[in-house]
Amino acid sequence: MLRASVAAERAGVPSVSLVSPGFERQALATGRGLGFDGMRLAVLDAHPDGLSADALVAGFLAHTLPQVVAGLTVEIPVDAATSSEPGALDVVASGTIDELHDLFCERGWSDGSPFVPPTRERVEAFIAATGHDPWRSLGVARPSGREITVWSVAVNGVMAGCRPEHLPVLLAVAEILAGDRYGVEHSGNTTGADALMVLSGPVVAELGFHHGPGAHREGHRANTTVGRWLRLFLRNVCGFTGDEHDKATFGNPAKPVLAEDMDVLAELGWPSLAGAFGFTPGDSVVTLARINSTVMIGSVFGSTPEEIVPYLADGLVRATGWDLTHVYGLGRAQYRPLLLISPMIARTFGRVGWSKRQVQAALYAAACIPAWKFEALIGQWSNLTAGRRTLVDLAAAGLVPAVFAESDDPQRLVPIVTEPGDILIAVAGDPNRANALAMANDGPHGWWTSRFVDTAPSLDLACRIGDEECGA
Amino acid sequence: MQYDVVWPRSPLATARRPLAPRLGGGPAHGLAGRRVGFLWDYMFRGEELFPVLAGELQAMGADVVGYDAFGNIHGPDEAQLVGEIPSVIAARGIDAVVSGVGA
Repeated sequence: MLRASVAAERAGVPSVSLVSPGFERQALATGRGLGFDGMRLAVLDAHPDGLSADALVAGFLAHTLPQVVAGLTVEIPVDAATSSEPGALDVVASGTIDELHDLFCERGWSDGSPFVPPTRERVEAFIAATGHDPWRSLGVARPSGREITVWSVAVNGVMAGCRPEHLPVLLAVAEILAGDRYGVEHSGNTTGADALMVLSGPVVAELGFHHGPGAHREGHRANTTVGRWLRLFLRNVCGFTGDEHDKATFGNPAKPVLAEDMDVLAELGWPSLAGAFGFTPGDSVVTLARINSTVMIGSVFGSTPEEIVPYLADGLVRATGWDLTHVYGLGRAQYRPLLLISPMIARTFGRVGWSKRQVQAALYAAACIPAWKFEALIGQWSNLTAGRRTLVDLAAAGLVPAVFAESDDPQRLVPIVTEPGDILIAVAGDPNRANALAMANDGPHGWWTSRFVDTAPSLDLACRIGDEECGA
Repeated sequence: MQYDVVWPRSPLATARRPLAPRLGGGPAHGLAGRRVGFLWDYMFRGEELFPVLAGELQAMGADVVGYDAFGNIHGPDEAQLVGEIPSVIAARGIDAVVSGVGA
């Protein structure tokens, strides 16, 4: 919404943005990140979703309307943000571990846990090991408007406790964040999804990422520190702090990197998760998406696909709620939940020669809900589909596939995704356990995006740190 | 042991720009004869709020261009539709916009 207001301001047309209480600082910060200080706001007197129709209108007329008119007509002097920020190589603090911990927490530069002090020497060594030019720009972070450089990636990598050899993974993720596809600017939305990084291909073994028991839990340095780095980077460079862009109602802890079990995938002849996005098993790839609900599908019992598919499909259904607005609403055909299965479950399919596509087709057919519930989740219960149109209406308008409107019976079963391939599958975890996780993705607000991880030494370190010609 | 540490943030890379001039005239008269466009993210009861706002602005003598002219600025086509805002503004002769609803 602020991005739309900024588009108008850039066109020379004054704007006012309607926001509910508590969003003022985020709105102003979003404008600042796009180059405009002092964006004009009109604040509602309460969050609209909890008001009666009469109270909504009465509050708007009494409280908000005057702000709209004033915001469009009256000039207010704006104190532009002054540029007194440190340079990349400036020492911003000196102290002991404890003193720095306190100071970084006070200034909002840390996640609250102890960190490795990012001294210039450590950061230089972190980068030098891979040969990358520290001042190479990867793009502009949204919504902060800050530049993403190799240096900024590395500083936060040092803080998180990453090893220098992890830098190629960090850079690949930073490139995803800098791009247009992923939608990093939505990472502070109120539902509080957090980013999942899935690592696939030879890089898993090459860099020592853990994919066995406890695959998605802290305890293994590569998985844990790279996961922590992402939260630090989102905070420090992209701007997702609690006083500005992070509006998560609850949020989640940082997620360790999920590394796929490439040996089992090879044994089954299955593509990795990255295969869904055009990559081959021989490609080293990191894939990023933001995840809402996660549901444990425990003790999957059965020795054939036919026996275990109903339970796995039920887990996908249980993980799926308002996220259906990414089938149509906030997204379009962008609900693509991830089913993470253990090697033991994967082998139950593989034993009888099922391909991933066959598994996806069986899950698609079984993971269905009544049409009335689908419509309630995106309309009545969440009010996330404007006009609360029915699936029949949406299908008639060509906005969802016809399978959602085979009749107008509200009890008819409809799928939770638009096609079988929308159900993503990854394999990791304890090879001797029959458990699975269903994860609901946040559609375009952290859209599945993959990128090659290039672990070869970079040849771009043509400049010396501190050299004026390098822009330091 | 003392450590000298560098900044974990990075410089702002976006050029600062001033806001567009307001319409002037003061709250009582500034919108008479003006055309105001609505930008909606199709959430948080904009379908109830914008009609109320339209009525109030029209009572002040303003003309209104509804949100349908712009489409859903927060949906799956956000990037495209936000990119088209300047051209819609120009084509419709819009003097100011109200954007919502952030909640």
